[in-house]
Amino acid sequence: MPQVEAETVVETNALTKRYGEFVALDNLSIRVKRGQILGFIGPNGAGKTTTIKILVGLSRPTSGTAKIAGVDCATGGKNIKKLVGYMPDKFGSYDNMRVREYLDFFGAAYGLPRSKRKKRIDEVLEIAQATYMQDRFVESLSHGMQQRVGIARIMLHDPEVLILDEPANGLDPQARIEMRTMLLRLAAQGKTLIVTSHILPELSRICDTVAIVTGGKLRAFGSLDQVMKDLCPLRSYEIQLTESSQLKRASEVLKGWCLPEEKLDVSEAEAVIRFPTQRTEKELADALKLLVQAGVAVVQFREVASDLEDAFLRVARETMSVA
Amino acid sequence: MDNPVLRRELLDRLRSGKTLASLIAVAIVTSGIVLLRWPASATVDLVSRGSAEVFQPLAWGIAAAIVMLVPAFPATSIVRERQRGTLALLLHSPIGPFSIWIGKFLGNIVLMGVLIAASIPAMAACYSMGGTSLTQHIVPLYLIFMMMAIMYTSVGLLISSYQTSPDASLRWTYGAIIGLAALSLAPNVVLTGKGSMMATVAEYLSYLSPVPAIYQLTGSNDISLQSVRSTATSGFLMAAALVSLGMACVTLYRLQPKLLDVSKSAGKVTEQRSTGAQWLRRLTFLVDPDRRKSGIPPLVNPVMVKEFRTRKFGRLHWLLRLIAVCAVISLGLTYVASSGTVSWGVERIAAVMVLLQLSLLLLLGPSLASGLIAGEVESGGWQLLRVTPMSPRKILVGKLMSVVWTMLLVLMATLPGYVVMVYIQPALETQVLRVLISLGISALMVVLVTAAISSVVNKTAVATATSYGVLFALFAGTLLVWLARGKPFGKQFVESVLMFNPAAVALAEMRVPGMEDLNLTPFAWYIALIICGVSAIVLSMRVWRLTCPD
Repeated sequence: MPQVEAETVVETNALTKRYGEFVALDNLSIRVKRGQILGFIGPNGAGKTTTIKILVGLSRPTSGTAKIAGVDCATGGKNIKKLVGYMPDKFGSYDNMRVREYLDFFGAAYGLPRSKRKKRIDEVLEIAQATYMQDRFVESLSHGMQQRVGIARIMLHDPEVLILDEPANGLDPQARIEMRTMLLRLAAQGKTLIVTSHILPELSRICDTVAIVTGGKLRAFGSLDQVMKDLCPLRSYEIQLTESSQLKRASEVLKGWCLPEEKLDVSEAEAVIRFPTQRTEKELADALKLLVQAGVAVVQFREVASDLEDAFLRVARETMSVA
Repeated sequence: MDNPVLRRELLDRLRSGKTLASLIAVAIVTSGIVLLRWPASATVDLVSRGSAEVFQPLAWGIAAAIVMLVPAFPATSIVRERQRGTLALLLHSPIGPFSIWIGKFLGNIVLMGVLIAASIPAMAACYSMGGTSLTQHIVPLYLIFMMMAIMYTSVGLLISSYQTSPDASLRWTYGAIIGLAALSLAPNVVLTGKGSMMATVAEYLSYLSPVPAIYQLTGSNDISLQSVRSTATSGFLMAAALVSLGMACVTLYRLQPKLLDVSKSAGKVTEQRSTGAQWLRRLTFLVDPDRRKSGIPPLVNPVMVKEFRTRKFGRLHWLLRLIAVCAVISLGLTYVASSGTVSWGVERIAAVMVLLQLSLLLLLGPSLASGLIAGEVESGGWQLLRVTPMSPRKILVGKLMSVVWTMLLVLMATLPGYVVMVYIQPALETQVLRVLISLGISALMVVLVTAAISSVVNKTAVATATSYGVLFALFAGTLLVWLARGKPFGKQFVESVLMFNPAAVALAEMRVPGMEDLNLTPFAWYIALIICGVSAIVLSMRVWRLTCPD
């Protein structure tokens, strides 16, 4: 068996889910390798949760297949549940239950023997850095604390794949950083992670692979660099002037220099001109020279790095315009 | 209608389909009772016996409807606002706690007034049959109904301000109302005619219940309530007004921003306390609820353990207390009967014990079982259970067993009383056995019907209220029909209705006065088992559906 196929842990082939006339998921095909973190991005109602539900065995596809470690998600039954740890966006709290009792219950539910359970609970609390809250009641925990307990819970049965739905939702900046570190640590331990989030800068910091879905269709899939290159082929530049009164003159100079597809975005309040371009470094240096010669006082002339948010917005805009 | 809270509460509820359905139901049921005894011949009934026969079940029927319907809204009112976060917005607004309270209070009272008014056409028809006086019977009766609505609304609002979840608030409110309506009579029933200070206190306590007042107005006979009969109506009106005022004051005191200023529990366990405190807890609790638990033992269903642990009163120390109280009461009742403290026969003591157990089953059953499925779905826990390798059967069995064990413990706790009873009168052995079978079937019915409702309804509070309604109708409603035996309902009809009430078998077996000639065994058991079977099928199918992939 080729090496690449052996490493693939999560695989969907032409995955489709229909609810009557409504197509929630349309021919979705993705592959995630062991130890990778897949960032699953899409607007509300794009089909992310549907995909996740199929992967964890909570929903059956209308057609196509989804496999985790070679086990079919639709027919895998208990095997799938042992292979996957799923943290939904809703915590699933129980009243009057302490964190340790909560984990003990889920440990027992996953069939961990009592002798091993105690040790395992200590381990997962340590991994989630939640040992200090083991005696607290789960319903009294803050959202960030509950997310930690959620991570500890999905680690209990030591699954190969961890699927987290919006883990950073509602977390403060500190908790977000800690969550990021934790997820990277889990990936380093060989776990495969599928993470959905609306906080795209967060995702771009941890993901190796990105899948962008809109309207149930996969719009982009691949490594973060590849997706960025595919979706944002033009580089963005920003020219900061000393005062906005010079914007008109600067715009006139640049319009003569720019290609038709390189549209200028002028911000009077900031005294800034932004434009996307494919030009070389030398050509850009010429543009700066032209501005200086025209008497425009330039403070900054710099490239603005495109991020995942730009890529996502581009896809979303394209989808909307097609619709 | 200047009060925005009142406007919102009242208009929202008047527009709802449920209100319309309740109005129609009250009108149909009350009119139906009158129609049963509407004179069919042209002969004039000079003593107006037909009217008297209608007036009694009509009054009890409306009273039962008030007990069932009134608490549902106020019990969830404040706690729901708190849960949604809108209470903070209201307290922050300039309308103030009094406006909030009066808005909620009047919203419910006006609606209940409309519901009670739906029975007026039936009562007018009853009046037209003669035999009842407007000033001596009907107006005082409606005053009692309104005062019941006022008192129970105040109770519901107060309890709602203490609770943290709507279903817990509903449970406590129904419990408090049953306590006010029925348990407040118990001391007077036992101590009546004693002439002691305790007896006087017991008599005053009985004014909290509307039962003696309704007895007085409807002209029913009951020896044990004779001591309060002459002043029952005025006594109840006074007591209810005082209780309502007191509860309103406490609720208003609580409706302050400090209500929301509650720190989260630090979750301190006994092991973190000093040695002295640990010993003290060991002495005061047989089973310390704050001690760190060892893991769920092997071969024990983890869902069952989880269900016990997540209930406030599911922890072992609470169950032990409950059992101890039941055992003491049952032994006490038997002792009181055998020592001749009261001149009751064994039958009457058995009837009290059966009713006590039935009340406990009715109070505990829905409160334990209504959240089994609905609570799990609501909290998001069901999703987590679905992704574990546990089968739907294991989840369902674990959940049901957590309630069945509790109900069994409650039933077992009263066994000593029955043992003493059989010891005093060995001939009762077969009857006692049948009583126990009837109670067992009743408990099973309570659990399965409630669990089935819980699986169909997605919200615990709705499941709790629906379960209480259905079970009260089955157990208490059928007994109301029995109370109206011969007037207007015939023996055949009463017997047919009681077939749906397995607890009635227990009462009939113990030859409770008025039930001696009823022949319910074993058909009532079969019908109850059929209801249990249907409920179990509905429950299993729903659980299967909820567990299956979408």
